[in-house]
Amino acid sequence: MRPGTPGPLIRGLATFVAFVALLAAVRGAAAQSLAVPPNGIVCTTSADDSFALTATDGYISLPDGNSVYMWSFASGTGPFQHPGPVICVDQGDTVTITLSNTLSQPVSLIFPGQSDVLANGVPSQPQFSGATLTSLAPAAPTGGSVTYQFVANEPGTYLYESGTNPGVQVQMGLFGAIVVRPAGHPDWVYADASTAFDPAHEYLMLLSEIDPYLHMALERGQSYDMGQYRPRYFLINGRSFPDTIAPNGAAWLPDQPYGALAHIYPYDPVTNPLPALVRYVGVGSADFPFHPHGNHSRVVGRDGRPLRGDGGEDLSYEKFSLPIGPGQTWDVTFSWHDAENFSPSNPIPVTVPNQQNLFAGAYWSGSPYLGGTGTLPVGGEGYNQCGEYYHVAHNHALTQITSWGLTMSGMMTYTRIDPPEPNSCP
Amino acid sequence: MDQRLTRRGFLRLGLGAAAGGAGILLAPHTRDRLARRAEAASVLAQGASLRYHLAGTDGWISLPSASSSTYHPDGLAPAGLSTYMFGFADVTGLDAAQIQAMKNKCQAPAPLMYFDEGQGALVRLTNLGLAQRPDLTDAHTIHWHGFRNVIPMFDGEPSSSVSVPIGRSLDYYYRPREPGTYMFHCHVEDTEHVHMGMTGIVFVRPAQNGGAPGIPPGRYVFNDGVPPGDPRSTAYDREFAVLLTEVWNEAHWDDAHIQLPEWSDYRPDFFLLNGRVYPDTILPHGTPPGRPDLAYQPYSSLIRANAGERVLLRFANLGFLKQTMVLDGIRLRVVGKDAVLLRGRDGSDLSYQTSTISIGPGESVDAIFVAPEVVSGEATYLLYNRNLVGLSNNGEPGLGGQLTEVRIAPAGTLPPQSAPNQ
Repeated sequence: MRPGTPGPLIRGLATFVAFVALLAAVRGAAAQSLAVPPNGIVCTTSADDSFALTATDGYISLPDGNSVYMWSFASGTGPFQHPGPVICVDQGDTVTITLSNTLSQPVSLIFPGQSDVLANGVPSQPQFSGATLTSLAPAAPTGGSVTYQFVANEPGTYLYESGTNPGVQVQMGLFGAIVVRPAGHPDWVYADASTAFDPAHEYLMLLSEIDPYLHMALERGQSYDMGQYRPRYFLINGRSFPDTIAPNGAAWLPDQPYGALAHIYPYDPVTNPLPALVRYVGVGSADFPFHPHGNHSRVVGRDGRPLRGDGGEDLSYEKFSLPIGPGQTWDVTFSWHDAENFSPSNPIPVTVPNQQNLFAGAYWSGSPYLGGTGTLPVGGEGYNQCGEYYHVAHNHALTQITSWGLTMSGMMTYTRIDPPEPNSCP
Repeated sequence: MDQRLTRRGFLRLGLGAAAGGAGILLAPHTRDRLARRAEAASVLAQGASLRYHLAGTDGWISLPSASSSTYHPDGLAPAGLSTYMFGFADVTGLDAAQIQAMKNKCQAPAPLMYFDEGQGALVRLTNLGLAQRPDLTDAHTIHWHGFRNVIPMFDGEPSSSVSVPIGRSLDYYYRPREPGTYMFHCHVEDTEHVHMGMTGIVFVRPAQNGGAPGIPPGRYVFNDGVPPGDPRSTAYDREFAVLLTEVWNEAHWDDAHIQLPEWSDYRPDFFLLNGRVYPDTILPHGTPPGRPDLAYQPYSSLIRANAGERVLLRFANLGFLKQTMVLDGIRLRVVGKDAVLLRGRDGSDLSYQTSTISIGPGESVDAIFVAPEVVSGEATYLLYNRNLVGLSNNGEPGLGGQLTEVRIAPAGTLPPQSAPNQ
C-alpha cells in the first residue's frame, strides 16, 4: 500500500456494496426475467437483424475521479453509452445497421472480417475526394445517416468501428463488438463441436485505451497532434478497474453499462463439464498482453475464424498470456479445475500464519478452501461472500494497470469462482 | 570451518558497512546452495519439502553508463552501484540471523527455481522490509505466473489472497503438473514491484525425464511422447533460462527518493538479460573476477555448447514491452509457449523454425537449436534484441542491453552441463 492511493479501495467498496445489492435485486427479480444479467455478455439482438446506431457524445467516469469526454454509439434513440451496443446475430443472418450521426464530423462504419458489405445498397468502398482518401467507407454527415448491410457468413467475434478519421474517432470511442453465432448452435463458438462452451458463462473483454488530452482537445473543439498520442487510461468494456467488476448496468455508471467480472464454477465432468467463453477484442494502438490468473486459456478462434488447418487439423492452443493486438479478436475457452481438492479434511501442507502475521486481501475469505470462511481482520474490506475464490485477470504490460497515476486500476478484472452448487452464495 | 559459519560471520562483519551503503562484497550467489537445500528439506515434515527460501527486500545493482544524469547513477547508490532495486534474495538454508542480514541485499533477477512434475514442494517467502525506504511498509508475495488451477492461497495476488508483511514469512505449496517454462514475481503493487526487480524464472521438468515406453531417460522440455530421434522430440543436452526485463531509471530513482513515477510515461533506459546488460551478460556467474559491482547480479547469460548438441533456451519476459530476440546464423525450433507443448489436441505438430523469438510481457517461449559444427576453435554467434533500441545502454552509443553470445566449441570440449545455465 502506498500513501495517496486510497481511491481503489474506497471505490471498490462502493462497487462491491452495490454489487451485492444488485445481485440480490437481480435474484429477487429473476421471475420477471430481467434482460440484463449482473455479469456476462449483454447482447443487443433484433428480430429482423436490423440495428440502429447513433454516433453521439457524452462522458464516462474513471476510477481516479476523472470524467472524460467521449464519442460513442448509442443504440437507436437510447442514451449515450460506451462502448457501443454488442450486436449479436446468427450465422447466415442479413444484418442491417443504420448509422445516424449527431457529431460534428462525418462518421462511418467499417466491419473488419465481414465480406461484401453494402452501404446504402451499393458495395461499401473507400471514399476519395479527387486523389485524397477521405474515409474507409461511405460516411454519414452531421445530421445524416447511412445504412450498411452484410450477411454474417462466418461465426465468431468481430469489431465495428468508425472508418472516418479513424485515428481520432476510434480513439474517441466509436467502436463496438459483433458476435456471430453458428447456425443452430448458440453453445458453440464456431460451427465446430470442439468449440462448445457453457452459454451461461459467456464474457466479452473489449480492450481499449484513452489519451485524455486528445479527448479534451475535441471537447474544446481544438486540434490535436496525434504525434503526441500517449494513452493514460486502459479500459475493459469501457470501464477501468475496480469499475470493471461492478455489475452490468450498475446505476452509478449510467453511461458504461458493461461489466467484466467473469463468474464461473469449478470444472466438474458431470455437473459443469463445459468451459466458459471469453471473447477478447483489441481496440488499442498496441498489443495488450492479457493474463488471466488461475488457468491457461484455450485459443479456439482468431478474428472470426476457427483455428483449424485446411486438412482439419486442430490448431487451437493453450496460453497463459494473450497478446490481444490492435483490431484483433481472440475467442478463448476457460475453466478452473480444483486440481488438489484441498479441504479441511484434505488440508494444504502449509501452516497458515495467524491473521496478525498476514495481510488479508479485500476478496480473501479467510480460508484457503473453496467454500470455506475464516476470521478476517476487523475493519478490513471483507468483500468475500461465501468462500468463493477470486483470480485476477489483467494486462501484463503493467504500466497499463494504472489510471493516470492511480495504481492497481486500469485494464484489470477478476474471475469469480463459486463453490459447486448447492452453496451458500447469495 | 563450515562455509555457512564463515558466511554468517562475514555477514555480521558486513552489516555496519552495509548500513553505510558499501556492503557490496557479499555475493548472494552461493556455492553451497544444493547442500543447504538438502538440509532444509529435512527440516519439514508433511511430505512436502522446502525447496527454496526467498527473502523480499531491496538493494542496489550496477548498470553501466558513460554519462550521468539526475536519475543515473542514483546519488544514493553505494560506491560502484547505480540502481535501486526491490528483489528477492536466496536465503535457502540460512538461519534467522543470516536471513536478517540479507536485508538490502536482493539479487537481480530472483534465484532461478525449478521443480519436477508432480512433486509437491514448498517455497518460503520472508519479507525483510526495505532498508532504503523504512517509510514504505509494503507486503510481498510470490506469484507463480501461469501455474494452472492454483488456489488463491498460493497465487500471490494480494487482493484475492494473503500477502506477507515485513518481518513475517509464508510458505507456498506447489505440485506442478505441467512441465515447461514459467516465471514468478511479487504481485503486491504489481507495476512497481515487478518493474523494481522482483522477477525470476521458474521451470518444471517433465516426468518423461525418468523415461517412458520407448523413450530413454534424459532431458526433455515436455512429455512429448516420442523418442529423441523423432523430429517432434523436445530432447536437449543443455538449457539456459533467459529472463528479459527493463529498467526505467526514473522509476527506480523515484522509489529510492520517496517519489512516484507516472507509469504511463514509461520509457526504459536499460534492457536486461538475467539482470545484466551487455557486455556484462557474458561475464561468468556469481561475482566475476574484478567486478565486485556485479555481486547482486549473479547470472551470466553466456551460452556455451559443443557442436552437435541440442540447446534449449527458456525465454520469459517480465518487462512491460514486447521484444524480439534474434539468433543470427542458427535456426531455432520453437517447441513451447507459455509452458505448453506446441501440439494440437489431435496431435498436430505446431512447432516451427524461426530465427526470431517475439515475446510479449508475461509470455514464455521454449526454443531448441542444434549447435552447428565449428571449423576450428570456438565459433561465436550473437543472440540479441532485434528491437535495436534494446541494444543501447542508457541511450548511449555502442552495443549493450539485451545481447549475449552463443559460443560453440568442438564436439566433446565441454563436460556435460551440471546445472541450468552452467
